[in-house]
Amino acid sequence: MAAIEIKNLNFVYSAGTPFEKHALKDINLTIEEGSFVGVVGATGSGKSTLIQHLNGLIKLQDKKHSSVFVNGMDASKRATLKKLRFEVGMVFQYPEYQLFADTVAKDIAFGPKNMKLSKEEIDARVARALEVVGLDYDKIASRSPFDLSGGEKRRVAIAGVIAMQPKILVLDEPVAGLDPIGREEILALIKKLHEEVSPTVILVSHNMDDIAVLADRIVAISDGRLVADCSPKEFFADRQLVKDIGLDLPMAARITDALVQKGVPLSADIVSLTELADALSALKEGAHV
Amino acid sequence: MSQIEVKEVTFAYPLREGVGMRAVKNLSFSVEKGEFVALVGMNGSGKSTLAKLLNGLYTPTEGEILIDGISTSKDENVFEIRKRVGMVFQNPDNQTVATIVEDDVAFGPENIGLPREEIISRVRSALDAVSMTEFADRAVSKLSGGQKQRVAIAGVLAMRPEILILDEATSMLDPIGRREVLKVAKELNEQGITVINITHNMEEAAFAKRVLAMRKGRLAIDGTPKEVFASGLLEACGLKLPPVMQLAKALADRGFEMPSSVPDEEELAEEIWRQLK
Repeated sequence: MAAIEIKNLNFVYSAGTPFEKHALKDINLTIEEGSFVGVVGATGSGKSTLIQHLNGLIKLQDKKHSSVFVNGMDASKRATLKKLRFEVGMVFQYPEYQLFADTVAKDIAFGPKNMKLSKEEIDARVARALEVVGLDYDKIASRSPFDLSGGEKRRVAIAGVIAMQPKILVLDEPVAGLDPIGREEILALIKKLHEEVSPTVILVSHNMDDIAVLADRIVAISDGRLVADCSPKEFFADRQLVKDIGLDLPMAARITDALVQKGVPLSADIVSLTELADALSALKEGAHV
Repeated sequence: MSQIEVKEVTFAYPLREGVGMRAVKNLSFSVEKGEFVALVGMNGSGKSTLAKLLNGLYTPTEGEILIDGISTSKDENVFEIRKRVGMVFQNPDNQTVATIVEDDVAFGPENIGLPREEIISRVRSALDAVSMTEFADRAVSKLSGGQKQRVAIAGVLAMRPEILILDEATSMLDPIGRREVLKVAKELNEQGITVINITHNMEEAAFAKRVLAMRKGRLAIDGTPKEVFASGLLEACGLKLPPVMQLAKALADRGFEMPSSVPDEEELAEEIWRQLK
């Protein structure tokens, strides 16, 4: 059973008004459990509309012809909506704005409490979630989340989602607004979550350098349509498509192109800095032989 | 006299009676007219507090800030300060007041009671400066993030400021929106407007002529991008090398000879090619 199965998904905002917008058009998508999917697309392409279907935040408009199944559950069924939301953890943009409780521990416990778990289980999950996001329980659990730094707040917000132990973790621009070191820490954390907590990760990002090295698969949306569903290497190798849908190449691919133009023999599937440095180093050594 | 003079400024957010949390500590620096400065540092290092001090949204707890010689600490100067220092904030959806683009840009000039003809001409030239003239009669809500930020900049420009502060104005934009906003900032700077760009993006920092790096409320580094990126304090300030310099470093580790200056992508490709020939 696939983690996510989307069939013929269409979505129209403000149907029948002058502001009508066809945000999703005939999307068919299957995501296997265990994958790390990067969702890319220009602003307004339909990425957010798509991911909000995954936990029933947006209802299916045409149940007759389209369907969204998550872990075998029909996302349009009210009866399983709660279970669906427990299984799909959503980390929205600037999740720290959603912190609300007077202590870090209470904030993280909110989700597990709604799941009606025992007190012992809730406490254990709060402690474990803090450990996973790299915060010290003894130092931080009883503090107000509002006294923490920006990076710490974001960790607490993510801990609140992973304390529910979702099988699928969806993150929308999780590093926006963080300083460079904070970004790096959160990206490393997401990698760790994929390995240890939530087998399936869906990451929405505008940063092609991040997506290229983290995701094992890219889903590209343009003007509401699914225009690519492949590995990062295959996706970025299609330079024309990337350009046409208004996206950037990873920096390593841009420099690769500049060098290829000068006649340096490099492959179009280089997407990371390390790959490019290694390929250039091999060429250099070859030149000295 | 410099255009911006920050003199031994300390600012504390009040926590409770008589107790404050110092976000900016004994800060001193000056900025000349026409400079393009990137202000960088970790989340919580005091950057945004400093920006709000510069246009008088906050006033120093200790010390003084002078804009064109005018102190931000005196209540009667607040209009003079705000006229000179315009700010654009992070979220494109939070800083428009009207539904139509030109009405939004006209909001500031209307508030200072300018004559109608003057308002119209200012709105036109402001929209022109950010390349949004053709969107004058459109609904703000229908614009992209980058376009909204350009409208926000136009709203500031209509007040004819001398200093433009971008407070993480590109952080919620996609790469295209980011480039649009930076291009506008560069053009305005070439016309003589001082730009202070608060950013976490190291490519944007490399793009400035001068970088101020804050750490725990103090100024940790003040120099050219080259000096800042070579500084041993970089990581302590929550910063990293821009991607293009990370690549240069990875190549240096693999036996390439890399220049110490900040190369852009084109220069780096040129340098690599030269060494492979």
